[in-house]
Amino acid sequence: MKIRYIQTLISTFLIAFSISSCQKDEVTTFTKITIPSSGPISAGDISGFLKGTLLTGQTYTIIADITVKKGDTLAAQPGAIVIVKNNAQINIQGVLQLIGSKEQPVSFNSDTNKPGTWGGFQCDTAEAITIKWTHVDNTGGPDASGSARGTLKIKAAINVDIEDSWFTNGQDDLIRIEKGATITIVRNTISSSGSTDGEALNLKTGVKGIVAFNVIFGQAGSGIKLETSPTIPFPQTEVEVYNNTIVSNGWRRGSAEPGRAVSVGVNAIGHIYNNIIVNNYHGIELFSDGDLSKTTYGNNLFYSTVDTYTDLVDSTQKINIRENFYPASGVGVAQASDLISNKIGNYDPLFVNFDGKVATPNGFPNTYDFHLQNGSPAFGTGFTKYNLDLGAYTTDGKGNQH
Amino acid sequence: MNYKIYLALIFIFATAATFAQNSTLKGVVIDEKTKEPLAGAYVHFDDRKGGALTDAFGQYSISRIPSGNYEVEVKYVGYKEFKKQIELTENKVINLTITLEEKTESLQNVKVYGKAGVESEASSRRSEKNANNITNVISAQAMQRSPDINAANALQRVSAVTLQRNSGSDEAFAIIRGLEPRYNNTLINGVKVTSPDPASRFVSLSIVPSDLLDKIEVSKTLTPQMEGDAIGGTVNLVFKDAPEFEYFKANASAGYSTIFFNRKFDDFSHGAVQSKSVSERFGSDYKPGQGNFSRANLDFTQKNAPVTSLLGFTYGRRFLKNKLGFIISESYQNQYYGSNSEFNIAQLDTRPGKNYQPVISDVANRTYSTQQLNNGLSTHLDYRFNDKNKISLDNVFLYTQIAQSRLSIDTSILGGNGGRIGPGTGAVFNDNRSYIQNQFAENLKLSGKHVLSNHLLFDWAGVYSNSTQNAPDRADISLNHLINPDFTSTPDYLYNVSRIWQKSGNKDVSVLANVGYKSGLGKNNSIELKAGGLYRHSTRFNNQNEYTLKPTPNNLTGGKTVFTDIYAADWLVYNVTGTSTSDKANYTAYENITAGYGEFKLSLSKLDAVGGVRVEGTEQGYDTHPVILDVKSNAKKTYTDLLPSLQLKYKITEKSNIRASYFKSISRPALYELVPTPTFGQSTDITGNPEVKHTVADNYDIRYELFPKNEEQFFIGGFYKKITNPIEFALNSLIGGQASTSPQNFGTATVTGAEIVYSRFFGMLGVSGNYTYTYSNINTTKIFTSTDANNVSTSVPKLQSRPLQGQTGNVVNLSLLYKNDKKKAFLQLAYTYTSKTLALVYPNYGFDYYQQPQSFLSLSGEKQLDKHFVFTAKVNNLLNTPTTIKIGSLVQSREVYNLGFNLGFRYSL
Repeated sequence: MKIRYIQTLISTFLIAFSISSCQKDEVTTFTKITIPSSGPISAGDISGFLKGTLLTGQTYTIIADITVKKGDTLAAQPGAIVIVKNNAQINIQGVLQLIGSKEQPVSFNSDTNKPGTWGGFQCDTAEAITIKWTHVDNTGGPDASGSARGTLKIKAAINVDIEDSWFTNGQDDLIRIEKGATITIVRNTISSSGSTDGEALNLKTGVKGIVAFNVIFGQAGSGIKLETSPTIPFPQTEVEVYNNTIVSNGWRRGSAEPGRAVSVGVNAIGHIYNNIIVNNYHGIELFSDGDLSKTTYGNNLFYSTVDTYTDLVDSTQKINIRENFYPASGVGVAQASDLISNKIGNYDPLFVNFDGKVATPNGFPNTYDFHLQNGSPAFGTGFTKYNLDLGAYTTDGKGNQH
Repeated sequence: MNYKIYLALIFIFATAATFAQNSTLKGVVIDEKTKEPLAGAYVHFDDRKGGALTDAFGQYSISRIPSGNYEVEVKYVGYKEFKKQIELTENKVINLTITLEEKTESLQNVKVYGKAGVESEASSRRSEKNANNITNVISAQAMQRSPDINAANALQRVSAVTLQRNSGSDEAFAIIRGLEPRYNNTLINGVKVTSPDPASRFVSLSIVPSDLLDKIEVSKTLTPQMEGDAIGGTVNLVFKDAPEFEYFKANASAGYSTIFFNRKFDDFSHGAVQSKSVSERFGSDYKPGQGNFSRANLDFTQKNAPVTSLLGFTYGRRFLKNKLGFIISESYQNQYYGSNSEFNIAQLDTRPGKNYQPVISDVANRTYSTQQLNNGLSTHLDYRFNDKNKISLDNVFLYTQIAQSRLSIDTSILGGNGGRIGPGTGAVFNDNRSYIQNQFAENLKLSGKHVLSNHLLFDWAGVYSNSTQNAPDRADISLNHLINPDFTSTPDYLYNVSRIWQKSGNKDVSVLANVGYKSGLGKNNSIELKAGGLYRHSTRFNNQNEYTLKPTPNNLTGGKTVFTDIYAADWLVYNVTGTSTSDKANYTAYENITAGYGEFKLSLSKLDAVGGVRVEGTEQGYDTHPVILDVKSNAKKTYTDLLPSLQLKYKITEKSNIRASYFKSISRPALYELVPTPTFGQSTDITGNPEVKHTVADNYDIRYELFPKNEEQFFIGGFYKKITNPIEFALNSLIGGQASTSPQNFGTATVTGAEIVYSRFFGMLGVSGNYTYTYSNINTTKIFTSTDANNVSTSVPKLQSRPLQGQTGNVVNLSLLYKNDKKKAFLQLAYTYTSKTLALVYPNYGFDYYQQPQSFLSLSGEKQLDKHFVFTAKVNNLLNTPTTIKIGSLVQSREVYNLGFNLGFRYSL
């Protein structure tokens, strides 16, 4: 009996031992995906994976989403024309380099030429973005997940250079940049964007750089909004906002969320000088949670073409725009260097062509000319670190070229 | 479901139990040694149907028996069979006290069956004592008498078990020994269950009515035969088995949650919830307009909360000379409950001099009103060909519908977009949601046991398990208004509406087989050898289709319009195609498990040793259906684990054991956690991680057990676990002020703990309690913000030491029992204490979300009114304990449920 018992035990351990030799390390394998190679870009229909150069004078039609892979570059020469169909979007995982010229801008527009009819540039993981002298019109159609699609969205610590370009008729946030990008956004014209919400420039989570000499007109929400991440206080978002002409923004979102010409909140730092701020729901609003110890501002011109304006949505509310240059809900206060209008005609910036429109719908054609007439109080009153004059159009010729 | 059907069924079964005889035999069944009354013993005559089951106080009564000579038989698990000849003459009442003698376990032969009324408390103590491993068992009788109506609540009474709950929901998952649900598994009749939840592997125990259960077994150590993916432990829900005798029990009770004494129940039109999304109804090319979305489910109305009703019955018997047995058990619970809560959002305070401490940025007051309908049907059929062959068919079907309104008022109290300058000003959002969720879980098991020879047992099972969740049209509406610095308010504006149709499913097919060999080794010793294997193919899918509705801009001005009521709201369908073809939450996944084991059990007169080795091979994979192809959109993982174990039980005396064990076990990541599609948040993105490794643990246990008398016990033990690659959600990267989190492995965590269990009766009073202490430690990366000597501030990743998520330090359960056998009354006062628990990991260094200590008190009782009827009463949450979560000293959320009670009757044959 005892022998049998020992035999049984031995056989049990033998089984255990033989099973133990089955032990294997964990293996993770990804199924290989064949990524098609892209050919040279010749005129005509394009879709799918793309790299190369869009050529001068050629017209391209995007018929489905375009993706520029990591390491690839999509470039455009002056005068390249791109028409987008089927609410398609352009995904940039690599480099985008659109270089137009004053004489021959690059153009991106939808086939229908109606607001919100294509998907814009989705560049969350891009490697570099350069856009010069380019028209980007009628973006903001919803994406497949139902989310609002910004015209240009970037979520990467890269260089973003946007100069001398035109952005019109987007549907939500127009340019939204996050995750520590370094930005140069200068001499652009941004018009009539955001359906009932969305900022023109929404700069978040550690973005650094300059926003200067831009014209921002008729945005649903705020012109320029600065915020840092609420959980990661450093690096802070820190942007120099100077010599912009910011007109008639912030009305379509309604009085519960008034839009601002410039707002600074959530631990962000703004340096706000030499801007001309006309007919916005709120002017400069510094929220109490912004980094007010480092934020600096002054030499801004505030003007309203009307004494009161009836809220677009709730006609019982008569909005006194002048009281909201530095709204009571914020902690910013008028600076001695500011030019603050106290009645119609006082500190009128004297735009070359502006009829005093306060609120306009999304897609409103901006045919105004925000150059300044002779005798404008904006001349010679600037903070000279940035410029002698105020607004986007300065006498030294360094300002907006549109 | 229709009440009337249930009432009719109960009526039919009740009337079936009518007799027309005249003599009566009654008395009490007691333990020979301890003189304890034995509940659930079956007293019957050898050749006649219609015996009686002893009640909770050991009493039985068989009436209307024709006069004659009978042999009285009593079968009771763990006791020797009782037989006695009696003579009954006409119209007489005979009192017979039956004493049963405990039987020592027979080690010599493998037996196919022999189970009787295993429901009683005494037998669950015996299971704990005789088990191969460290187990706790809650019997049906204990559940019936406790204040708990579902498996989740009942489980809370087990030592070292706490429950993880989510705000506003009744979902409850077991945390065993401080290890969160991912480290435990849930079985139905010994086999893994599928989960209807799209993101996890586990099934909410709140959907399992305790009426259906024969017992709940919590195993804290594993033998080679058990599936190896449990580090904390295994919860096995054992559904009722066919009885040896005709069995009928029914119960009905009604209850109310007292939270509705103070407020109304928020209701919405359930009929307005469209079961199919627009693209399912009209095809994917259809362009919906605002008329395609219903409105009445966003029209919240107030009503008086209806009464909670609970109904259930169980009927079972054997036919064909006891060869065919069946039992059917049905439970219907229609509960109305609610909670009031404050839910705050915290962010780091970056104002000068505030040292980057968290500060409340938004305050939301939420009220939840929930109707939960549980319907469980458990059926069992078995056929005994002979003493040596038996096959069984078990089916468990669980259906749950949750209909919930959530009304929330959210005020921003820091700057943000709000423009708040002081109390009572700033942006206010009303965020209201209606939600219906249907869950089905079906578990079909065909199994057989065959004694091939006296020494050889073969058993097998095939299991089909299928769970689905269907949550049609989760409708969310948000409105906003602003309170200006002069306290004037703007009107409400429609901010956003979202409608989500979600469906997910999990299907398993498993086959398993075991061969056992058992032989005696001398007079008192035996050896048992077992080998077996399992194969499971599991598939899972999740579909989500979301539509975003936005306010229509005014024709003239392009601006928003004021919101007056839901029926007048003007919205446009922003994404007319829905998201079904491209939603990032859509995926399919699979898992194949192949396992085999060899096990021995050596029973010597003083020592039992169970040990062996199990091998589990895993193959997992997923496929997302991405818009943009990505290298990680599809992956496969394979790994094989070798899991040795050894359990020793030294029988110091007949009534005491000392146990020591070692086992190795694993935990697999939920399939969803491997899927690398990111969910973008405001400042935090969450992404699955296909590189995350499964968790492996070495577990050591020691326990001393003393069983002085029936229904009395004393355990003391300790445990230590070394967990390699625990999976926790943690910070991945911190680029330019955007955080990204994903499930990750964190080296090695250790968990150490001690448990004490004690229960004893002093005459009619009893006390029962358990205490667990657990300590765990892990290091994970947090965001550390500081300012250096040069006044340069940075936020950088830094390791922080903390307990595991969901781990509670001290857990105390204490019950006072009063049992009067003569008056047939039972009263139980149950107290539960849990200390501070890490509920969630906060991204910033030095802070985490901690659930604050909680004390719960509940009362339950029953009184036998006559032979058939028992009055039952259950009162929960007597102390009106809130659930409070804090970050440091900040209250992040506080939820109040109020007291709830149920009163009713139980009928037994």
